[in-house]
Amino acid sequence: MSASPFIQEEEYAGGRFDWSLWRRILGHARSHRRWFWTMICSGLVLAGTETLLPISNAWLIDEAVAGRTGAAFMWYAILYVALVTAFSIIVWIFIRAAGHLSTGVAYDLREQGFARLQTLPFSYYDTRPTGWLVSRLTSDCTKISGLLPWFLLDLAWGSSFLTGIAVAMFILDWQLALWVLVIVPPLALVSWYFQRKLLRSSRLVRRTNSIITGVYNEGLMGVRTTRTLAREDESLAEFQEQSGDLKRFTIRNSLQSAVYLPCIISLGAVGVGMAIWKGGVQIQAGSDLSLGDLIAFMQFAVLFSMPIQEIAARITDLQAAQAAAERIQTLIETVPEIRDSPEVAEAMRSAPPGGPEDGGRSDITTIEFKHVDFWYKPDEPVLLDFNLRVADGQTVALVGATGGGKSTIASLAARFYEPRRGEILIDGVEYRQRSLHWYQSQLGVVLQTPHLFSGTIRENIRYGRLDASQAEVEQAARLVNAHNFIESHDGGYDAEVGEGGSKLSVGQRQLIALARAVLADPQIFIMDEATSSVDTETEQLIQSAIDTVLAGRIAFVIAHRLSTIRAADVILVIDHGRIVEQGTHRELLAAKGRYWRLYTRQEAEEEEAAMGRDGRAD
Amino acid sequence: MFDRIHTIWALLAGQRLRYAGALVSLIVASMLLYAVPIVPQVVLDGVLTDEVREGSLPERVGLWLLGGRDFLGEHLWVAALAVIGLTLLAAAATYLRGRWVAIAAESVVCRLRDRLHHHLNHLPCTWYDEAETGDVLQRCTSDVDTLRNFLAMQVIEIGRALAMLLIPLPIMFMMDTGMAVASIVLLPFIIAWALFFYGRVKTIFRDKDEAEGRLTACVNENLTGIRVVRAFARQDFERAKFHDRNDEHRRLDYRLYAILAWFWSASDQLCFIQKALVFILGGYWVAVGSLEIGTYYFFIAAVSMYVWPVRMMGRLLAELGKAIVAVDRIHEILETPEETATGTQAPPHVAHPGHIEFEAITFSHGSTPVVHGIDLSIDAGRTLAIVGPSGSGKSTLINLLLRLYEPDAGRIRVDGVDITDLDRQAHRRRMAVVMQDPFLYSRSIHDNIALSRRTASDDEVQLATRVACIHDSILEFDEGYETLVGERGVTLSGGQRQRVAIARALLQQPEILVLDDALSAVDTRTERMILEAMRDRHGRQTTIVIAHRLSTLTAADDIIVLDEGRIVQQGTHASLASEPGMYRRLWEIQTTIESTEEGAA
Repeated sequence: MSASPFIQEEEYAGGRFDWSLWRRILGHARSHRRWFWTMICSGLVLAGTETLLPISNAWLIDEAVAGRTGAAFMWYAILYVALVTAFSIIVWIFIRAAGHLSTGVAYDLREQGFARLQTLPFSYYDTRPTGWLVSRLTSDCTKISGLLPWFLLDLAWGSSFLTGIAVAMFILDWQLALWVLVIVPPLALVSWYFQRKLLRSSRLVRRTNSIITGVYNEGLMGVRTTRTLAREDESLAEFQEQSGDLKRFTIRNSLQSAVYLPCIISLGAVGVGMAIWKGGVQIQAGSDLSLGDLIAFMQFAVLFSMPIQEIAARITDLQAAQAAAERIQTLIETVPEIRDSPEVAEAMRSAPPGGPEDGGRSDITTIEFKHVDFWYKPDEPVLLDFNLRVADGQTVALVGATGGGKSTIASLAARFYEPRRGEILIDGVEYRQRSLHWYQSQLGVVLQTPHLFSGTIRENIRYGRLDASQAEVEQAARLVNAHNFIESHDGGYDAEVGEGGSKLSVGQRQLIALARAVLADPQIFIMDEATSSVDTETEQLIQSAIDTVLAGRIAFVIAHRLSTIRAADVILVIDHGRIVEQGTHRELLAAKGRYWRLYTRQEAEEEEAAMGRDGRAD
Repeated sequence: MFDRIHTIWALLAGQRLRYAGALVSLIVASMLLYAVPIVPQVVLDGVLTDEVREGSLPERVGLWLLGGRDFLGEHLWVAALAVIGLTLLAAAATYLRGRWVAIAAESVVCRLRDRLHHHLNHLPCTWYDEAETGDVLQRCTSDVDTLRNFLAMQVIEIGRALAMLLIPLPIMFMMDTGMAVASIVLLPFIIAWALFFYGRVKTIFRDKDEAEGRLTACVNENLTGIRVVRAFARQDFERAKFHDRNDEHRRLDYRLYAILAWFWSASDQLCFIQKALVFILGGYWVAVGSLEIGTYYFFIAAVSMYVWPVRMMGRLLAELGKAIVAVDRIHEILETPEETATGTQAPPHVAHPGHIEFEAITFSHGSTPVVHGIDLSIDAGRTLAIVGPSGSGKSTLINLLLRLYEPDAGRIRVDGVDITDLDRQAHRRRMAVVMQDPFLYSRSIHDNIALSRRTASDDEVQLATRVACIHDSILEFDEGYETLVGERGVTLSGGQRQRVAIARALLQQPEILVLDDALSAVDTRTERMILEAMRDRHGRQTTIVIAHRLSTLTAADDIIVLDEGRIVQQGTHASLASEPGMYRRLWEIQTTIESTEEGAA
């Protein structure tokens, strides 16, 4: 059960604005330099055009007031139309440039992130639900790449527009300019203040929203449980708490913007008022300020708020997206723990063609664990000084209590994890001196819950060997007794298995996973036998399929079925990270030790008695 | 269309007054905003221009209100104050509008969410068999969000655009007919362009969304199957697959930008040309003396005030379709009838509760018959085992007993009372069910178990977990019983979840206990321990066990074998194992598989 994709990770990054992070994010725009600069230039040109518009207005108005409709009037009119046309063309250019930049950066981030995910060790996945990782490559990337172009544009446009307006006003009349400019500091303050408030309240809204989605999801998944426990009323009451919260938070957020915008409009009005009053008095006093200039001033006073609002909003956007940026950047920068050493990489470059990619031996006849220590958490060792040698197509059955270290041994053998201390040798060579890709290509792994990819049955089996012919696919299916059920299945080999194999039963999925592994024809086989029960006939099929697969290969099996265990060449009883017993089924039964107790009623009764005592002691 | 309006109207119950208030303040705010440019107009025409002319009606009223020509000429700050004052009033009205709409819309949506949640909890379980979780979830979340957007934003934005457009119209026509016509002549084209454009690009949006869906699915599959990818060293293959999706998504995403560039630049151009028309024509008329400078200013200000909202309105109108689809989808859920009426009787008090009788029970799923004419009786305190291949109707019998399904024909009685006469919740409360894939809520392990009996002490919870052989595993978690499980917490294995669910069922101390393949993911030894401990400790309740492993059923008082919805065999283990039939066949296969184990014992 992985975390639902609807429940997002904590959105808050550290409250501070992280410059170095954003510089690194901007670095991704480097390969799209052309569009990067197009955005900036568009911003500048746009600001220039918008500054000139009220001025060309003023010129034309002055002509009109003077009663002239001659060539000058014509030219000003043409200038105005030219300016607005230029404006529209720039809009066209920057939206397309934004498209290139945004989709390009998203594409790069995704390619890099996905490639990195393919190399990160399982310990990385153990602590992070799939849903979170998926959203790093989807919504996080969309968020970052979506705001990047607009940040560039608005920053370039906003700052130069503000400058442009200020310069234009000073040229027209510096005194009046000062009067109108008094509104700038409060505008900036108000924008900054409200944007921050809005950022915080909208985070709350989003978080509560995702909780609500989670609650709905839980309600749908657990509908039968809720009914059978007769807790419908309770669950509604819990939901109402959340939906009430969401309502409160959303209203708070809306009220903040309901105050913010009127504040901005009012400040603009103060600017207009200043222009009328001070400008009007000047005109009355007979200065050279024209009516057109006055109208331009009034327009500028209203225009001021736009760039200030936009800049504040874009900076807040960055802050809102900082957590997403951090997540994707960290993912890309994570160095995988398990990877080829530089020496191996070197060997791979000089390897002769035809053989293994690292130039080493191509067959595997023995695997040896030598003094292997392993732990997931430093203070909880799982394996201590573990030693084991497997050779010549032996099957090793690992049995013992859950948490004793069985899966760890299998994972180490597969190099999903590497020993913390000690070494694992394949034919005498430490496996870290071989190419990871080559080694893992020699493995066949069947997991307890077999995972199928959506697609057809054929595609799933062929995953074991991509160039296998149809005949080979069928051959593999026959070997594991899957052919008959596939043939009788609607659509046969071309039947869709559904997401994760959901259209097939658990038993059928197990058979297909086995066929896939057989087709790969691995040198080493690693299997975590399924415990979940399937119906008796399928069970029988799986049983004999496993026998076929294991024959003649080095194999590690975390075994639950007695017949698998009996067929093994060596059985290891694992407890607390050590081999407590070792031998064949017959030998171990004869020894009447731990293994023998495990599989007789006696032990069950003993433990039960002990449990009963515990129970009473409570 | 009309019934959708009716649906939305019904949703607004209780909040209609607020909406009306918002509408009024919206109109007031728009009027005030248009009054603002009249002030500079008055100043320009009445004070700063030399010739005295007879202005239009709004202008004359404005001049009078500002104290007349001479007073205003002496005190220009009054005009400044008027601009600021009018704007402040407009701002206040705008605030009120925002406040009322927010409260109204959020209240409506909150109530809708609660209603959906309540309804989902009362829909018949047969509905869930058909429903797709993802789709239902989307209706409850993103469709509700679309509706919220409509109620909180779109309605009001469209209203605002209309108010901004319609309010100045009479004033404009009063001031100057020619200018008024010139000021609105392009508006229909602006709206039409938005409607046309958004009608055409729907498929591009959809293509992009679908590509995004495929991209997400690709990542999701890769990550859920990452162990398989590694096991076969298929990283390059996966990267190539992802690359294709990523590339496709990039292409379609860019196509959207490219086409939106046309929309925005063209509509910008239209809006600007509309302004240019006012500007240049007005300028010409001012120059030839047929228009006053102040009136000219008013028109310039007015056209800037409504042209952008009108453009926005075109887009919103084009997107109204989404809201309608959302309303339909939500309503489909709300209109699905709830479970049949519950009975009212409380379960009777009897000395040995838990006597169950099935009488000629028949049930079909849609048109597919699942069980036919089942007759069955289980005495209080006895254990019944049900055996049969997948799809034979085992779980259906349980669902019928729980009243998750209602039978097509026949009756089920518990302690002599027809269960349809019983209060449904009370009936379910005396039963406990553990399913093969039990569901745990995202809360602590302790809370998950104690859900079945709120009053249970910690000792009682631990007693239950010991019987279910899960106590020790729980203590191994970092936070023990307080460990969060489910979506936000640790992931339990199938076997651990089954055992937690068994503990939950045991804690409930039910009269009837149902284990529906509830130990399938638990190893045989643990399974036997659990079953035996349960027999010792909770021997009094009626128990129904469904399992594939026959060895675990041998101790049942009675075994029935189901095949294709009928009881084909019935008896004890000893009797069934000795007569030819399905049971013996299954038993033989399983004993060959497990023979050594038996031998060892």
